[in-house]
Amino acid sequence: MDPSEVEFLAEKETVKIIPNFSLDKIYLIGGDLGPFNPGLPVEVPVWLALNLKQRQKCRIVPPEWMDVEKLEEMRDLERREDTFTPAPCPYYMELTKLLLNYASDNIPKADEIRTLVKDIWDTRIAKLRLSADSFISQMEAHAKLDNLTLMEINTIRSFLLDSLNCMFKLRSNLQPGSSKAQFTDY
Amino acid sequence: VALLVASDIDALCACKILQALFHCDQVQYTLVPVKGWQDLGTAFLEHKEQFKYFVLINCGANVDLLEMLQPDDDAVFFICDTHGFFLQLLSSHLQIKLLIKQDDDLGVPSYDDIFRDEEEEGDDSGNESDEGTEPSGKRRRYDEGAVERRIERQRAKREWEARRREILFDYEQYEYHGTSAAMMFFELAWVLTKDTKDMLWWAVIGLTDQSVHDKITHMKYITDIATMQRHVSRHNHRNEDEENSLSIDCMRISFEYDLRLTLYQHWSLYESICNSCYTSCNFKLWTLNGQKKLQEFLADMGLPLKQVKQKFNSMDMSIKENLRDVIEESSNKYGMKDIRIQTFGVHFGFKNRFLASDMVHSTAALLESTEKDESDGDNFIKALDSLSRSNLDRLNSGIDLAKKKLMAIQQTVASCICTNLILSQGPFLYCYLMEGTPDVKVFSKPVALTLLCKYLLKAFVHSTRNKRCKLLPLIMAAPKDVEKGTVIIVGIPPESETSDKKNFFGRAFEKAAESTSSRTLHDHFDSSIIELKMEDRSKFLDALITLLS
Repeated sequence: MDPSEVEFLAEKETVKIIPNFSLDKIYLIGGDLGPFNPGLPVEVPVWLALNLKQRQKCRIVPPEWMDVEKLEEMRDLERREDTFTPAPCPYYMELTKLLLNYASDNIPKADEIRTLVKDIWDTRIAKLRLSADSFISQMEAHAKLDNLTLMEINTIRSFLLDSLNCMFKLRSNLQPGSSKAQFTDY
Repeated sequence: VALLVASDIDALCACKILQALFHCDQVQYTLVPVKGWQDLGTAFLEHKEQFKYFVLINCGANVDLLEMLQPDDDAVFFICDTHGFFLQLLSSHLQIKLLIKQDDDLGVPSYDDIFRDEEEEGDDSGNESDEGTEPSGKRRRYDEGAVERRIERQRAKREWEARRREILFDYEQYEYHGTSAAMMFFELAWVLTKDTKDMLWWAVIGLTDQSVHDKITHMKYITDIATMQRHVSRHNHRNEDEENSLSIDCMRISFEYDLRLTLYQHWSLYESICNSCYTSCNFKLWTLNGQKKLQEFLADMGLPLKQVKQKFNSMDMSIKENLRDVIEESSNKYGMKDIRIQTFGVHFGFKNRFLASDMVHSTAALLESTEKDESDGDNFIKALDSLSRSNLDRLNSGIDLAKKKLMAIQQTVASCICTNLILSQGPFLYCYLMEGTPDVKVFSKPVALTLLCKYLLKAFVHSTRNKRCKLLPLIMAAPKDVEKGTVIIVGIPPESETSDKKNFFGRAFEKAAESTSSRTLHDHFDSSIIELKMEDRSKFLDALITLLS
């Protein structure tokens, strides 16, 4: 899977906006989007929010988890624990990137939030790398990881699968006889 | 919608604002840059079939557009032009819509003075024909009263016509500039509440362009700056707060009372002082004495020469902190009272700080760059791109080109004054750039040549001792196209404190060309800039002398 595909899926998440135009309820295949009245907050999917923001028809309200103190707590918690703690939001990385790129003037303390989210991401990826490393070196048969988001899984997916395939080929070549091992080159 | 945009910075900024507005509302448009009346005509013919709505920016308002273009009846024109507008346009208000500010002091004569109702004409002719077709028998009953009334009417009509001609002549002989087009489009965006900081910045650049190229008076500049300042503070207050500070990447526009040294933050301070019109004219840097004075000035401020010749960003922090105040104090001693000027600066990201005048010079240099293999349309698009925030390397290349251009201007001014190339021809001063002059290619473009002209006049006024010469206007000629043998001629009004920047050369050039039947091309939207064949130069000048004396 491509990171842009993950971002596409992330755009389905809802976010609150405050429009400055009025429109009746619209009925889309994915669901209904409530009536838009200027000045009243309404929940819409992120793709629509970004489009409206670029056309200057709305103001985006940052989601609740995107707050400096909460993110600081999460980062400290993440650093203390060995296993994965629940992520701020199933798509926190993509949403941060999208909202901070297009709507940073609506989000207070955008620079600090960017740094905090990057810290959380780095810690989690480091843990992921450690656990993948131990998985491969100890040749475990299966593992269970909680609280991973799709983006993190996607980052490690191709590497993990390819390396496990290699391990499998190496192992399967060891069995039929040691002479054959010389001819396999990896 | 077709967008026909003239080739100057103000029009470029207005165009960008309009493009952003179209983007918001997802309106499709076609952008056509035009350089002169011929371009306008060809562009119009090309797009006549496809489009019904035409928007003209900084072109088209000072001639009879309907006559010239002969559009279909359902074509609608929206014109926003800083040049004065042609009064006949008022009568065809159905098809042409002009965007002007209401309180602009244009000195427009009232409608009634210019246009008379059609019915009165009909009445007159009706009566006359009546009287004429009466059979000869009734002539005996020829009423003296009727004849008197008719004579009276005719006389009133002749008087009215004479007064109308006079008013029109007064109005049309001068050319001047009104409010910046970019500012008008920004006001439009504001009314629609779609204004953003980007648009505000473009409007500021449009206004600064008018001031840098000396198109509007100082008073008007100050009033317009005040209007812009209101918008800037409105935008800044909306977002800044003690706790919720804005991300560093967001654009911040700030009001600066900054120095009049062009490009000083992107150049070394020494170079900038040498190449800015204001300082170089006051110090008379083309003379040895002037150079010495400059050294004294720098010593007076306590700035070591080594520091001052370094790139501005690498100067010591301690020097940079109080630079503006120190320079202002010292320059007061040397007679330069106005070294500071009110302007705006923009600030985004950690590295990028630009003043409005920096952007004007950079975009002007890109618009008229004379590198090979670059067509005018390309230059237009490049200059347009450099205005948006994401094309910083374009902007930086524009700044480099602007530096070269300013240095070329400075050297040309110095050589012209030192070799006395400026001749007084009676009612005006005249200067001709020979073909072999270095960098003469840069001056084959109208905007660069006009800038050179203004600097030269200022320098001349500072250097001459002849009191009468100081009040004369200047005409400058430079070779435009060596193969075709044409020169480009620019005329600017005389330098004076209270000048209202009205330029009468447009009419003068037209009349002189007619009377000598020289082969001229009045193509440019600014009628004080024309092209002429080299051989006709002398008789054209003679005609001008007789006309203006």
